[in-house]
Amino acid sequence: MATKVLGPEDLVIVDCDVHVHDPPEALAPFADMPWRRSMEHLGGVKQRYLDIPGYSTSLNIDPPFPNDGPNARHVMTATQMRDELDAMDIDIAVLFPDHLLRMAVFPQTDYAAALGRAYNAWLADMWVSRERGLYGAVLAVPQDPEDAADQIRKYGVMEEFVGVYLPVAGVRPLWGERMYDPIYEAAAEMGMPVMLHSVGLIHPNFPFNVDHMTSRLTRHPIQHEFALMANLFSMIGSGLPVRFPGLDIVFTEGGISWVPYVMWRLDKEFAETPAEAPMLERPPSSYIKEMYFCTQPIEEPDRPSDLATMIDLFDGRDHVLFASDWPHHDFDHPRAVMRVPFEAEVKRKIMGETALRLFGISLPVPTA
Amino acid sequence: MARVLVGSVDEIQEGTPVFVHSGAMEIAVFRLGDEFRAYRNRCPHQQGPVCHGTITGTRVASASSGWKSEWVREGCVLLCRWHAMEFDLETGERIRGRGERLRSFPVSVTDDQVFVDVASRSPNARRRAATPLP
Repeated sequence: MATKVLGPEDLVIVDCDVHVHDPPEALAPFADMPWRRSMEHLGGVKQRYLDIPGYSTSLNIDPPFPNDGPNARHVMTATQMRDELDAMDIDIAVLFPDHLLRMAVFPQTDYAAALGRAYNAWLADMWVSRERGLYGAVLAVPQDPEDAADQIRKYGVMEEFVGVYLPVAGVRPLWGERMYDPIYEAAAEMGMPVMLHSVGLIHPNFPFNVDHMTSRLTRHPIQHEFALMANLFSMIGSGLPVRFPGLDIVFTEGGISWVPYVMWRLDKEFAETPAEAPMLERPPSSYIKEMYFCTQPIEEPDRPSDLATMIDLFDGRDHVLFASDWPHHDFDHPRAVMRVPFEAEVKRKIMGETALRLFGISLPVPTA
Repeated sequence: MARVLVGSVDEIQEGTPVFVHSGAMEIAVFRLGDEFRAYRNRCPHQQGPVCHGTITGTRVASASSGWKSEWVREGCVLLCRWHAMEFDLETGERIRGRGERLRSFPVSVTDDQVFVDVASRSPNARRRAATPLP
């Protein structure tokens, strides 16, 4: 008798990265003065796709063509998100912002902190819902780690908030530095994983200083994978996994193929200069194997089996998490990940079971 | 072979595909001058609704242009709305791809009526239609 091929509708799918649209006028009612006035003002300014000066500054330097990605989709409400996730058989999702992916670059600490508080309050009020399977990640502003820690403790008591979002685009210093320890202390205290997420950005801070590169084709992977690598290096170099041994660390929107390289390269370096990282008790790879890596943008090699091999290279069967990045232009449908030729048990883990355990989300999933 | 009526020749305009169904399968018929092409509305990449995408051109550069960017194939490039993958509307092949191609069907015209010839039982007809995402 023929065995039915496992499809997205046959298992619980947890999507670790979807994006809510966060225009300034929507967040303004949740913002403190005087920043509310700025956000109300920005609401009347003509906007391009995820590009608002003073709010989401991309420094987009390319002339637009229709073929460059016309898919400027936005998800404006929780109801819309639920409907669109249903169309992909996605049961549960972790929400990230659109515009505020770029919030790490703001030099005004008070403004950044106000944006973070407004976003978290807006997310709590308008979006997160166990019934809808929509869960939040508390935005932790790097400019004000103490305020971010307060936010993590405030929203971490809500079961609808399951992670802490660390903005990567333009962040300086990188996320391994000890100035961020209040954020990690709060996340560890609340039992919430930290989730690094980058975005396309041109900015002086490494590795976003790509203004001299001539196409999005060449810049985009640097703004994502290289940025995640740089932050992972920073975390290993500062001994973050040793200093916060119970803290789970998740990398989103970088695919998975860079992980073996980083693991082996750092091990090689560590063998030569272990005194450079005196707090590490083991080779870097052993810590990296305890971290989590989201699938999107899943690589698409000619042989899908190569992806299974790649995941096994970092013992990743229990540490890879499905993410779609819906509704962004390079989103992955669940079936793009499900075609990786793992056995059903592993597919169930990658597509949802590992995330349920990581985020402490219990089933059955309530229906709206 | 089953013939599915699409409409009269005049009802199918360039730049605006006409959609017909064969079981669960959606097929789009495109007009290219005096010719027609029919493709399944399913992108070979991630099975998105490719035929609802934009009809446009593309940019190329070659030694003959001094490696400067040129705009070519206006009206002959179908851009998938999910991931912007480009397909040649004349052949159904992905432009500069890895051999991917849209599933095509023969089109015939009889007495000014356009028909798509669909296999009476498509091997894919039992699968779900393309997910109705924006």
